[in-house]
Amino acid sequence: MNLSQVIADQNPEIMLWLSPLDPRRRHQDVRTNRLDGVGNWFLETGEFQVWRGGEGGADKAVLFCYGNPGVGKTFLR
Amino acid sequence: MTRNISSLVMDSLCDEPGEEDIVVAGFYCDFRGQQEQTTADIIGAILKQLVARPEVLEHVKTAFQKAKMELGGRGLRLPDMVRMLKRAIATLPQVFICIDALDECLPKHLLDLLESLKDILQGAPRTRIFVTGRPHIGAEIKRYFAAGVIVHISPTRHEIKRYLEKRLEMDTMRDAMSDGLRTDILRIIPARISEMYVGASTVPTQCIILY
Repeated sequence: MNLSQVIADQNPEIMLWLSPLDPRRRHQDVRTNRLDGVGNWFLETGEFQVWRGGEGGADKAVLFCYGNPGVGKTFLR
Repeated sequence: MTRNISSLVMDSLCDEPGEEDIVVAGFYCDFRGQQEQTTADIIGAILKQLVARPEVLEHVKTAFQKAKMELGGRGLRLPDMVRMLKRAIATLPQVFICIDALDECLPKHLLDLLESLKDILQGAPRTRIFVTGRPHIGAEIKRYFAAGVIVHISPTRHEIKRYLEKRLEMDTMRDAMSDGLRTDILRIIPARISEMYVGASTVPTQCIILY
């Protein structure tokens, strides 16, 4: 169990006050169903590398990836 | 596909060696929970992921006690939540915020969310924001983040085939499947999807929903 989870468990009232949503659990579900290797190419793209490296300062702070409907949401979920 | 990529991005940022100073907070929007996913709750959900840092936990605890005394523990309004998140981010070396499927928010929440993210960035230029969604929200993203980088992601034919193989392995009605049908599925569907990308968005896509 990671530190965030321990702190969350110790402070349930505060966690609920911040938000009733539970993004960590959702992330666990998504990553459990993820196919190994699928999408790895994206991490190698120049756009991702530059964004992650923080080059370009605040101007380049946002990276938006879009996928077409039909494949993105209903197919490769 | 975007969920896959979003989760991969979050994990790769968390796993990066020697980057203990990075804090990653993510959120997956979901059209099934649109009503519950208000902007304040999404911002709160991001803040929740930063409280493992003692400096953040302390000030959130203080704010909670104060709200309990003054407001009887009522939920926070969006401006208060954004202020608290900005304060948390200011105490940390670098925060990565990843939000998947922005288009699955209600439109009014989407605009509030983009406005809030813009506000957060203005006070914390080292912060990095990764968002995904369908093409039509690209214009909104550009409106709020003119210099933002936009990338088109699409699965490779090989990835589609691997996904189909996995789904077929998990099929609970195997009696209904024959070798011929299996071969056809693995041949036709990846080809159809590849054609869709060549033919851009005019091709009807509903025909390939498998389940």
